[in-house]
Amino acid sequence: MSMDADLAFIAQAMPAFISEAAEQIEAIEILLLELEEQPDNRELLDSLFRCAHTVKGSAGIFGLNRVVEFTHHVETLLDKMREGELALTPDISTLLLQCNDQIKFLVDTAADESADTPDQKDLRADLVIQLRALTEGAQVAAPQAAPAAPAAKPGTEAVWSISARFGVETFRNGMDPLSIARYLGGMGEVVSVRCGSDGVPPLVNLNPESCYLSFRMQLKTKASREDIEGAFSFVMDDCELDVVAPETADQKLTRALEDMPGTPRLGDMLVSVGALTQDKLTQVLSTQESSRGMPAVAKAKIGDLLESQAGVAPEVVAAALGKQQKLRESAPSEERYIRVQADRLDAVINLLGELVIAGAGATLLARETHGEALIEANLHMNGLIEEIRNGTLGLRMVPVGETFSRFRRVVRDTASSLGKEVNFEIVGGDAELDKSMVEKIADPLMHLVRNSLDHGLETAQERLAAGKPAAGKLILSARHETGAILIRIEDDGRGINRERVLQRAWNRGLVEQGVVPPDDDIHMLIFEPGFSTAEQVTNLSGRGVGMDVVRRNIEALRGSIRLNSNPGKGLQVDIRLPLTLAIIDGFMVGVGASKFVLPLEAVVEVIESGGNHVRVDERGRHCLELRGAVLPVVRLRTLYSVESVLPERVSVVVVHSPRGKYGIEVEVLLGQNQTVIKPLGRLFKTLRGISGSSILGNGEVALILDVVSLGELITGADLQATAV
Amino acid sequence: MAERFELPAELNIYSALETRDALLAWVAEQTAQGRELLEISARDVSEVDGSGLQLLAALANGDLPWHLVEASAPFADACRTIGLTQWLDSRTLKTGASQ
Repeated sequence: MSMDADLAFIAQAMPAFISEAAEQIEAIEILLLELEEQPDNRELLDSLFRCAHTVKGSAGIFGLNRVVEFTHHVETLLDKMREGELALTPDISTLLLQCNDQIKFLVDTAADESADTPDQKDLRADLVIQLRALTEGAQVAAPQAAPAAPAAKPGTEAVWSISARFGVETFRNGMDPLSIARYLGGMGEVVSVRCGSDGVPPLVNLNPESCYLSFRMQLKTKASREDIEGAFSFVMDDCELDVVAPETADQKLTRALEDMPGTPRLGDMLVSVGALTQDKLTQVLSTQESSRGMPAVAKAKIGDLLESQAGVAPEVVAAALGKQQKLRESAPSEERYIRVQADRLDAVINLLGELVIAGAGATLLARETHGEALIEANLHMNGLIEEIRNGTLGLRMVPVGETFSRFRRVVRDTASSLGKEVNFEIVGGDAELDKSMVEKIADPLMHLVRNSLDHGLETAQERLAAGKPAAGKLILSARHETGAILIRIEDDGRGINRERVLQRAWNRGLVEQGVVPPDDDIHMLIFEPGFSTAEQVTNLSGRGVGMDVVRRNIEALRGSIRLNSNPGKGLQVDIRLPLTLAIIDGFMVGVGASKFVLPLEAVVEVIESGGNHVRVDERGRHCLELRGAVLPVVRLRTLYSVESVLPERVSVVVVHSPRGKYGIEVEVLLGQNQTVIKPLGRLFKTLRGISGSSILGNGEVALILDVVSLGELITGADLQATAV
Repeated sequence: MAERFELPAELNIYSALETRDALLAWVAEQTAQGRELLEISARDVSEVDGSGLQLLAALANGDLPWHLVEASAPFADACRTIGLTQWLDSRTLKTGASQ
């Protein structure tokens, strides 16, 4: 029974394990790539080790022996690096990345043993051989590789901190923590020893043949690290062992500061670790107090005073300051998280959409009753609904940086396989976007990044010949812009070859032979279906998935894509995406009996204009003068052929789009409302300037205007070009 | 049953399962009698290993408090070696001849 219950529990918890392990694996990759750039960053290395260790540990709980075994070798290598016996070389980094891929594979196929093909097994064995060659070779190479490790010189007596957590199988394997402790005691003088027995289950649940013990020991000995570790050689395989080298007094203080839970004041931190007495601190603080009121230059910094007056070692002060800084930076990340299934959240958001519509309906009915109190109550309720809406949609928001970081690996691998040097930069990774959008945008972005690397950036020789630095630049950036997010992929490569694109478009019949559309439209031709082929014509020619798929995916998210090519200098790809797929703040307007909704963020102001006196072209376009500048205006009534009697005076809603401000001429202003976006049916997908529909409180349908594409529609040069 | 529990001479992995069951039965008995502090004696212990000590650690992680009333030299020595000295701190503890 209990076996079945265990299996049921494991089966239930498995998806959570896989998703957590996937996060750890992703983190390992990011950390490795960061570590390549800062090989001396100890914290990165420690985090890396922790991630690998977590994967191994939780895989152990689920009995995923293949993951445990393999990760163990990786962990051993990382441990050697932590001890300063090995430095991270590009080769080791590549090996670790490959190992991480293998761990990912093992986790992904955890439930399916048959997926582990002989090829994968060979690959894994090969990786293990490489890992072992490094870890076992490291001991020989240790002396010159470990100048930074504060290891005690052999032969001198020093106090080592040994902490060991024994594996469950220790007793069954015939080993005993007690005899190990006794053996260690024989190597020198035990300063202190403490057995950790918190992990031992209560007697009634205890399997007496399983081991749950651990101990920490301070051992004063002349023995070397190898000697100490030797005591654990028979339990090494499933024992977590940490042997910390003896420290100098200052190092000890520094470490105590590192380990401290957050106490933000510098002086207090130093007092509590014993680097400073309370009296000294008071003295220093009064000195600082007396310098108050002096000009800023003369004002003494507490850190300097602590050094000069209280005689605290500069490195200790620096460590305390570092800790303070870290606390400030890490404060938000220490918040706690709850894991929620995405579909539960989606269900809430769907309901919320219904609630918004129902709320609007209730408000409408309340208005009809003319009952002040009822109207008031409804307004209050709508305010609350709006807050809930913002809060709930906020739950789905995640920083795009996580997705961006994944590209580091792609860039690294692609660039090295192409033999190109690339400096990859990520800007604005903390900009937030709806989680489902982030997932859907990853593939198109990946495609664009690959294309830039593959065809945009030149090789080092070509670049030098063109007078550019040898290493190419690729910048992936994100920022918020009027209710949308703008993701930009920018390279300093060769840009798009306009003539060749045009030639190909003519050949393929995408553009009528001889017709030369404006530059922007020529660039967009590469996104046309049937343009991308295996043959490389431009720097953006596709392989596998065509660029048309990229555009389609982005447009499916109500986004848009624009290219800005500077021949010889580089290419900029701008992707604009709405922040969320579900609900927006809308501004409703009416034309005849039809209602339209504009995203409120896009609205700048509303002006009045003379209606039927103004002449418009066949697409409803005309111009107005607004404070001395010309404002292009589109009359919705003409553009969408809405039947109505044109009133004497009309309103022009001024909106801003990436192409600048323009006006939308409407007949009635209906005010602000919350708009639940419903996608348009297939039939209307081709309708330009409209991005979706919304159901109003009274059951009517309003169309949601897409400010960007409507702007392109009216500022676009002529019909022929936009029709491509 | 006895008021105090006598740990066996061989408090090690070979007897661990048996000792655990005996200890559990005795604890249940003591609980039934409403005893609030259990008394354990390690007077006879001549051989001890980690799994033997772990039994007592498991008892310590249970609900009922207990204390050691007597400890043989090998038992006390083992406790000191691995750092479980809190059991030896009791004032009422009688210890065997020191090593």
